[in-house]
Amino acid sequence: MRILDKARLRLRSLFGRPDVDFELEAELRFHLDQLIEENISSGMAPQEARRAAQRTIGSIAQYQEECRDMRRVNFVEDLLQDLRYTIRSLAKSPGFTAVVVATLALGIGANTAIFTIVHGVLLRPLDYPQPDQLLYLTAEYPAIGSTTRNALSAPEYAEFRQMSKSFAAVGAYSTGGAGYTTGEVNVTTGDRPLRVRSISVDAHLLKALGIQPEQGRFFRDEETSRWTGTLPPPIAILSHELWRTAFGGRALVGQKVDIEGRPHEIVGIMPPGTDVMDNRTQVWLPLWLHPNMAEQRGIHVLYVIGRLKDSVTFDRARTELNAFVEDWGERAGTKDHVPTNHPLRATDHTLQLRTLQDAIVGSASRPIWVLQAAVGFVLLIVCANLANLVMARAGSRRREFVLRTALGASRGRLLRQSVTEGAVMAGAGGILGLGLASAGVRALIRAYPASIPRTSELTIDLPVLVVALGLSAGIALLFGFLSLWRARTIDIATALKEGARGASGAWRHHARRGLVVAQVGFAVMLVLGAGLLVQTVYNLTRIDAGFDRSRLVTFSLTLPMANSDPDTRARAYQRVLDGLRSVPGVLGTVAMSGLPPNRTPDAIATPIENYTSDDGRSFETIDYYQFVMSDYFGTMGIPIVAGRSFDRTDNASQGKVAIVNETLAKRIWKGQNPIGRRLRPPGGSFGATDDVWHTVIGVAKDVRQRGVERPAGTELYVSLDQHGVAPPSMNVVVRTTLPPAALSGAIERVVRQVDAAVPVVRLRDMDSVFAESIRRPRLLAQLLAAFAGLALLLAAIGTYGVLSYMVTERRREIGIRVALGAARSDVLTQIMKQGLQVTALGVTIGLAGALAVNRLLASLLFGVQPTDTVTIAFVIATITAMAVVASWLPAWRASRLDPNVVLREE
Amino acid sequence: MAKPTDLVQGTLDLLILKTISLEPKHGWAIAKRIQQVSQDTLQIQQGSLYPALHRLEQQAWIKADWHPTETGRMAKFYSLTRSGRKQMERELANWVRLSAAINTVVQEA
Repeated sequence: MRILDKARLRLRSLFGRPDVDFELEAELRFHLDQLIEENISSGMAPQEARRAAQRTIGSIAQYQEECRDMRRVNFVEDLLQDLRYTIRSLAKSPGFTAVVVATLALGIGANTAIFTIVHGVLLRPLDYPQPDQLLYLTAEYPAIGSTTRNALSAPEYAEFRQMSKSFAAVGAYSTGGAGYTTGEVNVTTGDRPLRVRSISVDAHLLKALGIQPEQGRFFRDEETSRWTGTLPPPIAILSHELWRTAFGGRALVGQKVDIEGRPHEIVGIMPPGTDVMDNRTQVWLPLWLHPNMAEQRGIHVLYVIGRLKDSVTFDRARTELNAFVEDWGERAGTKDHVPTNHPLRATDHTLQLRTLQDAIVGSASRPIWVLQAAVGFVLLIVCANLANLVMARAGSRRREFVLRTALGASRGRLLRQSVTEGAVMAGAGGILGLGLASAGVRALIRAYPASIPRTSELTIDLPVLVVALGLSAGIALLFGFLSLWRARTIDIATALKEGARGASGAWRHHARRGLVVAQVGFAVMLVLGAGLLVQTVYNLTRIDAGFDRSRLVTFSLTLPMANSDPDTRARAYQRVLDGLRSVPGVLGTVAMSGLPPNRTPDAIATPIENYTSDDGRSFETIDYYQFVMSDYFGTMGIPIVAGRSFDRTDNASQGKVAIVNETLAKRIWKGQNPIGRRLRPPGGSFGATDDVWHTVIGVAKDVRQRGVERPAGTELYVSLDQHGVAPPSMNVVVRTTLPPAALSGAIERVVRQVDAAVPVVRLRDMDSVFAESIRRPRLLAQLLAAFAGLALLLAAIGTYGVLSYMVTERRREIGIRVALGAARSDVLTQIMKQGLQVTALGVTIGLAGALAVNRLLASLLFGVQPTDTVTIAFVIATITAMAVVASWLPAWRASRLDPNVVLREE
Repeated sequence: MAKPTDLVQGTLDLLILKTISLEPKHGWAIAKRIQQVSQDTLQIQQGSLYPALHRLEQQAWIKADWHPTETGRMAKFYSLTRSGRKQMERELANWVRLSAAINTVVQEA
């Protein structure tokens, strides 16, 4: 009750101020009148009585002030006054204000932007109910040093489902390689086919994820686990987004839509934003494996996600899994291709559980933390700069503070004034920074759509706002305390006597130089990190991927399996190639199943004639099968190092031929001549009916197939021209003098003439394909370089600021020295020397710091060591150049001082 | 904030609360009453009285209403609130304890 009364009274005092003042005046007037009356009744003349009363009562205005103080109104009024005063005083020094606000905006903006990513990608839980219960199960091949997370085979998945007791639900998905889709399908809407991203899931997976359809239903158990026939059941679920954009959100559940040229019933629509493993799924299809595939332990195509039971911990699930793997063979009743805890052979794999969030974020986590550290450094530099600026200003405002103290301002009141000043600037900087961050994050996602996982969910939300606000508030406080740092120890009398200059304590010089040293140190670390990453990107772009990438344009085509057979597909692709060859400006054109340098591996067990591996196998797993059409090696510019290339005459001959890469030749035939040896690739892998022996006719130079930075794997080339068949999806590559945009019309026309229902997708030049393969290091290098540039600029401003302040303070001394005959060049050298000394100390400390933490960068680098001497030399040169530039102006100004003017100033 | 220098610190509040505990009074009457009862020993200055009244009102221990005086003029009358009465009793007990203690010490010495 009392609290309410008090609150009401405060509000009245604050907002009903005219009323309150009027009341107060009336009250005091009443008192005055009473006093006058008393004086009169004690015998005074009325005029005399009034004067005496007014003498006793003093100034009414002062009482009003005191009464108002009692009403605690002044706190708010002071604040408003502080604000007005702050804005006036900041407006008076627009240069200072602009530098502070801009610096803060950049610092807070960069931090907010990166923290948005840290929070949105790394920290925020996944958008499923109880996401920490979701685990991801993968197969890994430690014996060959592979860190890739591979899929499980269908029998393994079934066995794991049966054995596991820790999980409430275990489901599987496939995004390709399951013999049906490649993670993309053609969807027909109206007359235009769309190429959209697909995923094949079983009913258990949707149950495990704990999601519900927005409309319609999910797949039923029997629709996704009974794998019979030659094609999956024709049903599908659309993503909310595809349903809105491609179908305008019309009622679609129960209707038929053509997918891969076959009518599918749309059974449901997913809620907005629903996805699995950042696949950017647009169409959800029922999981289906060809019955033959489903039996094979060697075919790993299923990714497994499980939801733990409520009472089970991650550790217990992992212990349970390890126990299964210990005797999986006995449980499953087979010896080959079972998971083991003791992998010896290249084909041995173990099973690993990790949280779904870890699995999604994966390798993106380190670069993001590196960026967060980098912007943290930038913010520290910003704060050091601010501290310097504020201290310099506090020095020149000392008289003001002293005067105000002398006039009765309390220390708390002064502190409040300077904190208000800090809050106004930090607030302005924070708001600008938020704007910058929001624009920056959006631009980043637009420029690098698939480089960072979970970007579709990135927003500046409440936690990010809280962090930005916290940063600004912290800076405001820092600002306030620093402004008063000097005032703290002020002795009014001395300070006023000293006049404007005053004898600044030596400690303050040390403090300010220390701040510059810190700035330079942080800048060194950032520039070094950025230098290493820029060099990494440079190294990556210079890698010889094994073929001539210039003037190549590529696109991909998929002829749906359902309404085409391998022979007609081969003829269709042949017609596309022939059609393109007649386009002016086209020098050559070929088709291939996997587009280097970013294709997925095949890992197909291939029997080899007269061959026994170290562990007694007669087959070898070949990493990549490349099915090619037309003059592949000539057009791609891949040198044949032994034997010969495919030839037209091969097409008519009965004996099937193959070409291997250097790595395959070395691994299998170990220095012996591979020409004439035979291998038997499974015909099913490219549309042929039988497995036939292929004779090796040549050895091609290695081509980087899966990321330019990875070593080439083993690769087998088969000529589709000889077989007259083709797989559903092919990549076409055109060697041309024209850019992709100029060719797109001709390509569309040629493809439409062959099959109007087939969309041309991913039309671009080979340079963009390469750029995409190194997009993440490039993004990291670009951002780090930007932050390092910012750090350099701020450190330069800091150095400049401290030196010019020093020059201003020592004007008299310099003036006297010049008057006594010191050469101007001496003055210049001396000031520059001081600047460079501070820088040298900063560089030393920065390099030490960088060497301490750069090990964390090592895994992100390619072809360059964290201790690379060239980069370090470059950093030292850059920072020194920065220091020379920043010191020169104050030094020059000092050397130009006219002793006549300086000495007469005071 | 001005303090009643001729009063033991903090006792002005108690004097005011006590003075208006029987009936509502305006500022002038409160000052006069204290002066009268203390036989002119305690003279409350306006500079102390009105800030104190406003502080007590702000604490919601007293409340104010405008009423006509016996001469017909409007004046601001202060009266105790329920929590003000409790506060007065607390301060009174405190004062009795304190003054007794001071008396003892003073007389001992």
